[in-house]
Amino acid sequence: MTSASDTASRFPATSDADEPRRWVRVGCSSDRDPQRAVAEALAPILELGQPRLAVLFCSPAQDLRTVSSLVQQAIGDGELIGCSSAGELIRDHALSGGLLIWALGGPGFTVTTGYGLGNPDQGLRNAAAQAARCIEALERREHTLLFLLADGLCGDQMEVVRGAYDVCGAHVPLMGGCAGDDMALQSTRQIHEGTLLSHAVVAAAISSDAPMAIGIAHGWKPLSEPMLVTGSQGTTLISLDDRPALDVYLEAYDAPAEVRENPTAFFQFAHTRPIGIARRNRTEIRYVYSADYEARTLTVFAEVPQGAMAYLMQGSCSSVLEATAEVCALAEQDLGGLPARGFMLLECVARKSLLDQQGLLDASLRLPTVKEGVSVGGFYTYGEIARTEGAGGLHNQTVVALALA
Amino acid sequence: MSSAPWSLHLLGEVLSAFSVDSPTALRDVVSRVAEAVDAEITAILRHDSFSLCTGLTQDEKGRLLELVPSRSDRLVLEGTTYHLHWSPLGGDQLLVVGRANTAYDLEERALLRGMGRSIELSTRVLDAVRAQREALQAEKLAKEAAIREATIDHLTGLPNRRELLRQLRERLRRVAEDQGQQTVLFIDLDHFKQVNDLHGHRAGDQVLRVVADHLRAMTRAGDVVGRMSGDEFVMLCSLPAAADAERLATRILDALRESLQSQGMAIASAAASIGIAVAEAGDTPDTLLDNADMAMYAAKQRGRGRCARYLPSMREQLAERHRLEEELRQGLAGDQMRAWLQPIVSTAHGGVVGFEALVRWQHPQRGLLSPDRFLAVAEEADLLRDIDAAVLSDACIQVSRWQTSRKGLLPRLSVNVSAVSLADRRLHERVSRTLEVTGFPAANLFLEITETTLVDDLVSASVNITELERLGIRLAIDDFGTGYSSLSYLKRFPVGILKIDRSFISGLGGGSEDDVIVETVVKMARSLGLEVVAEGVETAAQVERLRLFGCHYLQGYLYGAPAAAEVSEARYRASLDAQLGMVLQS
Repeated sequence: MTSASDTASRFPATSDADEPRRWVRVGCSSDRDPQRAVAEALAPILELGQPRLAVLFCSPAQDLRTVSSLVQQAIGDGELIGCSSAGELIRDHALSGGLLIWALGGPGFTVTTGYGLGNPDQGLRNAAAQAARCIEALERREHTLLFLLADGLCGDQMEVVRGAYDVCGAHVPLMGGCAGDDMALQSTRQIHEGTLLSHAVVAAAISSDAPMAIGIAHGWKPLSEPMLVTGSQGTTLISLDDRPALDVYLEAYDAPAEVRENPTAFFQFAHTRPIGIARRNRTEIRYVYSADYEARTLTVFAEVPQGAMAYLMQGSCSSVLEATAEVCALAEQDLGGLPARGFMLLECVARKSLLDQQGLLDASLRLPTVKEGVSVGGFYTYGEIARTEGAGGLHNQTVVALALA
Repeated sequence: MSSAPWSLHLLGEVLSAFSVDSPTALRDVVSRVAEAVDAEITAILRHDSFSLCTGLTQDEKGRLLELVPSRSDRLVLEGTTYHLHWSPLGGDQLLVVGRANTAYDLEERALLRGMGRSIELSTRVLDAVRAQREALQAEKLAKEAAIREATIDHLTGLPNRRELLRQLRERLRRVAEDQGQQTVLFIDLDHFKQVNDLHGHRAGDQVLRVVADHLRAMTRAGDVVGRMSGDEFVMLCSLPAAADAERLATRILDALRESLQSQGMAIASAAASIGIAVAEAGDTPDTLLDNADMAMYAAKQRGRGRCARYLPSMREQLAERHRLEEELRQGLAGDQMRAWLQPIVSTAHGGVVGFEALVRWQHPQRGLLSPDRFLAVAEEADLLRDIDAAVLSDACIQVSRWQTSRKGLLPRLSVNVSAVSLADRRLHERVSRTLEVTGFPAANLFLEITETTLVDDLVSASVNITELERLGIRLAIDDFGTGYSSLSYLKRFPVGILKIDRSFISGLGGGSEDDVIVETVVKMARSLGLEVVAEGVETAAQVERLRLFGCHYLQGYLYGAPAAAEVSEARYRASLDAQLGMVLQS
């Protein structure tokens, strides 16, 4: 169990003076008692005062309803959003079954929050647009960003980015992730002002006196030659180069016999074998999480558009470790030379699985580029959102970092 | 990063986003265009307005519109330079794509023009396909409306006869294939015609709608209920056993009875009768419905408000009923209805003072038929008015002849009037014409009606009775004591006689309750200036009691059964002679 005092002592807040203009602080707990867990996680945060925004990442093993209600009570007028997770991450190590509160505060930040409800039939585009409208009430500072948390199991995740972009437009970067459920893949929850939601998008519009920047990294490399997506519908990948997608996938990765007939074995196997979609100057990763053995199709978390150019990707523990290590640096280098006061780190749950199998999970969070005393917190996601240019920005099996100066 | 060409396939991505089924197809396509070239701004413009736009605020949209005439390749917003590309979309539409900081290279510009052309063509195809779909959809809706029109009963919204027959045909085909049992419930409202006659068709329609709603609510999934015609409904059910059908029918009857009564619907308490027929191999829709119809008639004959299952013997009974109905019509047309007369005597002197006319049917083959043989059929066939008229006419004709053959006192005549006759607004006209034709004096005519008939429809009755009163005709209240026994209508209408029901007379003697009732009624009638006739008098002891109570007149087998007019005339003359003899002796 990680105690709040340990966290606080190891990662004291960066402060300009007695009353810092902006601060970021993280607290966490693995205690299953809601009151003790919330008290423990909030202790290092409340040392600095009431936060403007608290973001709660909480395992479904916790009593989400009670926890979110207690957090909202404790932070008073501060804004609260959050979601269920598939593991919580803090510098140096990952939690399982715990909760983590990432908070920012100080007069240098302004925050508004909102939410929108969708459904599995219609997806989340309208829900995301509704949540994003909180930005309209935001007292704008020089730098503004929209942070989003969405249901990770409700239609095409790409629609979340599109819906938020419809409202925020070109000048507001988008960052966030899709809620998890400790890999049960049944249902996820979203939290807004102490209320539990599902099939929803929650958002926090954050404006700051100082820059905020986003880093993206994944560490995957193409294994195959590029292939055309010749058949797809929503999140179902039907064919690649006019051959059944499952057959192409199993053949290219030389999948063992068990994977070819056992859904559970396939699920484990596919964790570390995503699909990449070629974009103008990057490759976007798509997480494959199930196979239909009869239809010979693959199911992915976000769309693989028909007509797209796709690769079967490969990675190793070292490439994944490298990506995690570098992502905070990538974000911080866009802060205009200012030092980061804290980071939000959102990493795909599949990467967690890969590292966990090798016993490297905690090692992956040492984050050598992040200075001592700078708070880092986040969660393992079912999809990552990072839009800094263009209108897209949904990723899978990727790690994204938000740095705040 | 792959070295494979990345641009050409993006045309395929954009085209694949077009979907005839998606109402947001164009929006999805534009999103794809933006994502393909990492553009922040995408818009479709026409003149000075946007069909679609992403990435810009309202103010920024205005800035972009200012650039339309010049087709400028740059737009600076919040310190960021967006490189613009304008692609014609056909007509006066433009696709505008803007990307921050990085200009489009030659390959991207070619790609964007290709995308523009693809969007233009795809949009046209999409519009054409949608228009065709809409036309097909409109045609489909029109067909569905026509089918609905042809298969739905407009009053109740239930399937009509045609649709019921179609569904029954389909169900019987499944029965033939041994795929379960099929049962038909034939539901007919009791006395519905009276509702229309007494309260008008609007009230009748309301009753039908209420019944339809109830039947619909009681129909199980997979079963069907429809309206055959008039007040006839049919339910088609797949029930495992005939006993289940009877249970269902009983539930329906209970629900209808309760509902119609609770809503104050003026329909007789029985509410409905239900016939049940279970399909057998070889049945056609017509035979099965006929069977259920026959069972329904059997239920009515057994007293209404009940259900009956079809039995093969009912077919012969129905045929007999149809024959009887036809013969009854012929009999009415052929003047076969006869008024038989039962004497009414004076308690004071024992002489005959009048007669009650009772219907008999002089059937050419079956002989003389008493009313219990044909009145139920007459009621179902709506012939009661004709029978009432025939009896009145025959009685008046017969008795009037007595006057012409011998000068003397003409007897009083009581003639029964049924509820449907009393509700018929032309009753007084008919009576008036009969009196005119026969010359029978109105003062000697009493129209006998029951309390129930009078009180159940006071409005219609009032009109007729007022007119009859003008003719000088009085009423005799039949079966007094068995109904409301209300005094109010005795004062309101021209009632001349109360007839005490035979059930009280048979119980007279020994200080029974009937003694008290009869004595009270007689006293009350006398105090109101009414005359009293005791019906069903059969013993001398009863006569003694009635004389003691002060009852005016007596009627019953003790004084003679109903008899043909000639016999009655002789009886009347004999009575007159006897009275004359008594006067002479005295």
